[in-house]
Amino acid sequence: MRKAILLVAALIAVPASAQLPGLRRRAPAPQVPVQDPVDALRADFAAQSGGTTVYFAVGSAQLTPQAKVQLQAQAAWLRQHPDVAVRIEGHGDPADTRDHALALGAERAAEARNFLMLLGTPAAQVSAITWGKERPGPPSAVTTILPPSGGAPVVPAAR
Amino acid sequence: MKAARSIFLAVAAAFLGSAATAQQPAATVIAIPPLTSPDSGTKGNEMLALGWQATQLMETDLGQTAELMPLKSDRNDYYSYPEVTAPNFSKWRERGAKTLITGFVRTRSDGRYTVGCYVYDVDKGRELAREGYVVIPADLRRAAHKCSGLAYKAITGAPGMFDTRIAYVAETGSRAARVKRIAIMDSDGYNHKYLTPGDTIVLTPRLSPKAARIAYVSFQSGTPQVRILDVGNGEQRPLVPGDAMTFAPRYSPDGSKVLFSMMLGANSDIYVVGTNGGYPQRLTVSTGIDTDASFSPDGSKIAFESDRSGTQQLYVMNADGSQQRRITFTTAAYSAPEWSPDGSLIAFTWRMGDTRRIGVIAPDGSGEKILTGGSADEEPSWAASSRELVFQRTEANGRPALYRVSLDGSAPRKMTIPQDGSDPDWSGTMD
Repeated sequence: MRKAILLVAALIAVPASAQLPGLRRRAPAPQVPVQDPVDALRADFAAQSGGTTVYFAVGSAQLTPQAKVQLQAQAAWLRQHPDVAVRIEGHGDPADTRDHALALGAERAAEARNFLMLLGTPAAQVSAITWGKERPGPPSAVTTILPPSGGAPVVPAAR
Repeated sequence: MKAARSIFLAVAAAFLGSAATAQQPAATVIAIPPLTSPDSGTKGNEMLALGWQATQLMETDLGQTAELMPLKSDRNDYYSYPEVTAPNFSKWRERGAKTLITGFVRTRSDGRYTVGCYVYDVDKGRELAREGYVVIPADLRRAAHKCSGLAYKAITGAPGMFDTRIAYVAETGSRAARVKRIAIMDSDGYNHKYLTPGDTIVLTPRLSPKAARIAYVSFQSGTPQVRILDVGNGEQRPLVPGDAMTFAPRYSPDGSKVLFSMMLGANSDIYVVGTNGGYPQRLTVSTGIDTDASFSPDGSKIAFESDRSGTQQLYVMNADGSQQRRITFTTAAYSAPEWSPDGSLIAFTWRMGDTRRIGVIAPDGSGEKILTGGSADEEPSWAASSRELVFQRTEANGRPALYRVSLDGSAPRKMTIPQDGSDPDWSGTMD
């Protein structure tokens, strides 16, 4: 949280200092779309981990071999980015009844989180929630969201 | 020969008897002439007009039941105040009525009304029941519903479900950005009110026995958690403290306890907690998902759903969690059980592949019966009569609606609500 605030302060400070008199003006930057640092991280995470969505068999919260491969890649990426917190959002099966879908989504998210922790991801780096069948999203799956939406983005400190 | 013939007759009678019980029993015809009034003059005319409104409401109430069939009420069937307790039975017998409601509306000096309600067996010329209700003018509808309930109970033996309320989740907005609000209404759709603002996802409202409070699930904290809402003043509080995910609440029949499910890690179990606080008591310990617990009407047993066997099935246990016993054993999935108010049946959602339907089963696992033929029917909740259920049907266009279905096998009927609706819960009869 503190880091996030510091980063926001830094972002504000950079353009302000550029306008200070007496500083050497840089040449105008080429017109490339500026990528949000969080979007860049998201894209890198998705690319390195082989996709942020991990699927389950209908009615099951058991990790498939494919799911474990994906989560291993996610764990490796999280090890390289210890300052990035992620949230695993669990989804139930669309044809399930409301409460079981809610519980199954939570169970899937918990299984995925437990597997990441087994691979050494610190508990504080990954949270888990469920949407049951309440949110349109990938059915019978968990999605690793980076950074948690709604909260302050947590991004790595400048190296 | 004579002996043989009488045996034959006995066998035939047995067959006829079983055929009759297997078929839908013919509805009892009931006459509801307009309520009269002992008042005179302008006041009398005013009371007769109100009496006519109440009469039409009773005709609608009883016309919705499978057991009773009202004759079309006629405003010209005036009868005098003394005839309330001395009806003209032969007149109603000639019109084919088996039963009759008479009554009156009278003003009181305190501004309230007295509504008298009398139920008769027309064939026998005998009174079956009578009751009087003193109501403020705004509650005249409730007096009419109570009168419908008096007649329904006198004739069928089952409690009437006319003076009851239904809580549900009102749904608006696109499928991608659904707005969900807890709503409550009288069971005939009147007095519709929204109780939450729609700023967060809400699910599964469950009424306390007299509909004074609602236990429901809110995503307000980010994690689904059970909250208790006071219907009268709108005050809210979490059911239990802490950050754990809690869901699937259901009141005990006496309103003193709430059953709920709590997710700890990857495991969901069933707990019970007093409505006035106290420490939650854990009732199940299996791995997998135990949820959707529902008390028997005497509070001694609990029906619930568990996927401990690999698929969702129904179980019954004692109220302290002991003697857990599975009662469904097919390849279908069974979920969302609710015990009927008379204790005889458990309603559930039946699922095979993507198809969901509403069914009932006896608490010992016998007599399973599927009641609906929809493709996405779920969340059944009993009427106070134990003869009807309200449930959610997702229609072909993907939108959820509320339906009612009787145990007699007649087709489900769609309820009229202002928007889409899901997760209905039907209260007991109000005081």
